[in-house]
Amino acid sequence: MNTPIRRLAFVLLAVLGLIVLDLTYLQVIAGPRYRDDLRNPRLAASRSSTERGPIVSREGIILAESTAEPGSVQTFVRSYPEGPLYGHAIGYTSLLFGNAGLESAFGRDLSSDSDLTMSGIINALLGREQGAQGIRLTLAHAVQQSAQSALEDQIGAVVAIEPATGEVLALYSAPSFDPTVLLGDSPAAGDALAADPSTPLRDRTIDQILAPGSAFKVITTAAVLESGAANPDSRYPDPIALELPGSTAVIRNSDRGRCGDGTDVALATAFRRSCNTVFGQIGLDIGATTIGNTAEAFGFNSEISFDLPVARSVFPTGSLVTDPAATAQSAIGQRDVQATPLQMAIVAATIANDGVVMRPYLVSESFDRDLNILSQTNPVELRRAVSPGTAAVLTELMTDVVEAGTGQAARIAGAVVGGKTGTAQIPGAEPHAWFIGFATMDDRSIAVAVVVENGGSGGTVAAPIARRVMQTWLSS
Amino acid sequence: MSRNAEAALLAGAAVLAALGVSIVRAAAGETPDAQTALTFLVVALAFGSLHLAFRQWASKASPYLLPLAALITTVGLVEVFRLDPRSATLQRWWLLIAAALGTGVLALLGRYGTDVLARYRYLFLAAALATFMLPLLPSRWPLGGIAVNGSRLWLRLRIFDTTVVTFQPGEVAKLMLVVFMASYLASRRVALASMTRKIGPLALPEPRQLSPLAFAWVASLVVLIYQRDLGASLLLLAVFAAMLYAATGRAAYPIVGGGLFLAGTLAAVQVFDHVQRRFDAWLHPWDDFADSGYQIGQSLFALGSGSLTGSGLGLGRPDFIPSATTDFLFAAVAEETGLAGSVAVVAAFALLVTVGFGIALRARDSYRKLLATGLTAVIAIQTILIIGGVIRLLPLTGITLPFMSYGGSALVSNVIAIAVLARLSHEVST
Repeated sequence: MNTPIRRLAFVLLAVLGLIVLDLTYLQVIAGPRYRDDLRNPRLAASRSSTERGPIVSREGIILAESTAEPGSVQTFVRSYPEGPLYGHAIGYTSLLFGNAGLESAFGRDLSSDSDLTMSGIINALLGREQGAQGIRLTLAHAVQQSAQSALEDQIGAVVAIEPATGEVLALYSAPSFDPTVLLGDSPAAGDALAADPSTPLRDRTIDQILAPGSAFKVITTAAVLESGAANPDSRYPDPIALELPGSTAVIRNSDRGRCGDGTDVALATAFRRSCNTVFGQIGLDIGATTIGNTAEAFGFNSEISFDLPVARSVFPTGSLVTDPAATAQSAIGQRDVQATPLQMAIVAATIANDGVVMRPYLVSESFDRDLNILSQTNPVELRRAVSPGTAAVLTELMTDVVEAGTGQAARIAGAVVGGKTGTAQIPGAEPHAWFIGFATMDDRSIAVAVVVENGGSGGTVAAPIARRVMQTWLSS
Repeated sequence: MSRNAEAALLAGAAVLAALGVSIVRAAAGETPDAQTALTFLVVALAFGSLHLAFRQWASKASPYLLPLAALITTVGLVEVFRLDPRSATLQRWWLLIAAALGTGVLALLGRYGTDVLARYRYLFLAAALATFMLPLLPSRWPLGGIAVNGSRLWLRLRIFDTTVVTFQPGEVAKLMLVVFMASYLASRRVALASMTRKIGPLALPEPRQLSPLAFAWVASLVVLIYQRDLGASLLLLAVFAAMLYAATGRAAYPIVGGGLFLAGTLAAVQVFDHVQRRFDAWLHPWDDFADSGYQIGQSLFALGSGSLTGSGLGLGRPDFIPSATTDFLFAAVAEETGLAGSVAVVAAFALLVTVGFGIALRARDSYRKLLATGLTAVIAIQTILIIGGVIRLLPLTGITLPFMSYGGSALVSNVIAIAVLARLSHEVST
């Protein structure tokens, strides 16, 4: 009888062994998959059970805060009093919809460490600061508000930078969203946001690259000035259409006419009138490498160091060197050139800052529960993009655009305003309207980039928005 | 190992209980209180009295039985406390009752020996059948059956419309059936093993010798149909098949038994909605996650969230798991103690099963061998069925995890099984 009993024992113990194998698979190998499954309620619970520090605007207006749920000391509710106004900048950490914005990028600083995890216990033993830290932003509430109201219900983005420091004064992408919706209380509302064809969840200021159109001529001009091949008075031919070598395509001006009187035209005039024929010719003259180097000095083709991840703006020098026709089209900001609004704001800010690129930043300081400052961000000079001389010339050229050229809608009484419009042609759709520029009054100064997707002409659509945003900062 | 070492290990279990309850309270930001002391005292008292009963009436029993049972019970008690302190309070009372009954059984067996059980085998059979049927009593009677979650397994005692106690008689009835089977098979095993009839390639014993198997099949189907309890019927049939195999050495019994059960189950899937739902949830839990797949899905989330070392006692969220104190207690333990804890629990069960089969192997006669085999198989198969269900290795059957799940009747019957095994172990050496 012992043989069958032994066999029986063996079979039952073998099944228990099988259970151990399956447990190992479920808990360790497949474990993370189950743990991170969207339907696992634990993630949402774990996030709301730790206090997160507040996020405040430049002036101290509360943009995000955690409050203990009534009747519970362990559950915290995150709220966003300003709703969609700071939606993209603040972002969210959501079980269902992922992480975005500063809530994600500064998650570690914002979270409280005073829990029963090993690091929490070690921190307690070492007497380290454990409370949830708060962060103060560089965003100015009034400027942010003016960006929102100026864009109205148009799709687009506004980025404003203080040129001397790199502090970001406004970072607004429209349409925006209220981060509260994504916390998970109503998944259907979040799903609707995620499925909205106007992609309100996308941060158009930093996460979308578009053809900058004529706004890119600032860089082309900087390149030709830096190369010494031209000055504002240099004369260029004035054809009705610029024929491109090795191609049947031609470059025309936006009004399909000539830039000047038909003989030749000065660079300054061409810049003021945003003549495509002249800048296409400059592209042919100086070549893709020269323009590309200048574009890269401004930040193209690399990741911009910022408090949030920024999409890479593109000037594909490598593929353009053997293709003069494409180079000419790229020199006027069409074809293969694409940039984020943040990148274009940096271009304007750099010109206003005598040619030095400042690192843009959004978080100016962190503070503890008792409002003691824990860390501060200092302005950082990244590099010199163009010489002070070139910056001065471009400042004049851009001021001329607002005084007498395509950007007159950006004029502000009592302030020195410079800028460049862009109207980026999109096959089969309305062009994207751009304006990049700067304004200075007394000791205040601001640089902006505005884009309105499929908005039409940069001079009539984007420039007035830029004017309102800049004026708000100058007069506040 | 000696009885003194056993006493030390049992004291360890009581300390573990106190530590566990204190950790759970600390995780909730509270200091140890009376609950800690009470849990310590109850575990110490229950297993202490069983230990003394061992010394008195089963002094030569294996010293591993009781510490393993105490360890598993303690882990369960702490996790039940963590999930629902009120249930843990009740469970403490049940542990004391179980220990008292276990002590009583040991005293009885100590006086008369395990042979006394064999002598009254038909009484046990009748008692088992009657006990099984108790939940079918009209529920309006003071002592009547009630259905929970579609399964009519519960007996409720009410006095003046106040529920005094609810009990699952099936838990005790299955022990009585094992006693009957052990003594019946011990006397008939030679006849059952001689395959005299041949139908084609199949060798069969005399048809009248097959009656126990037929009986077992019918009994399991009756349980399945009338009480709507897939788990209990599966357990019964598996234990019968295991004991028949142990008695005869004929693999045909478990194979035919398995085939019969499979046929019965497939028929049940067709006929009963709730069985159908459990199968769907097992095979396709994510298809209907919001409904039938919810339970098993939450169990898998708990297991995955536990990972290697778990969230820590009191720091996980096993409250998301439905029926966490009963069917899914193992998932709760696995979440909070991780793979380390879940494997430790399975290992403790494996050791207990190994000790049980060791007793069966060393027993002097076939009756004692079969009784030890049957009792051990009940614990082993129950463990496999419910843990297998919780980790989706098997369809979920509403069976309790021995010693651990919240539920008095199960705890009582498990402790009694340990008491009988201990006496069998003692008799090996005398």
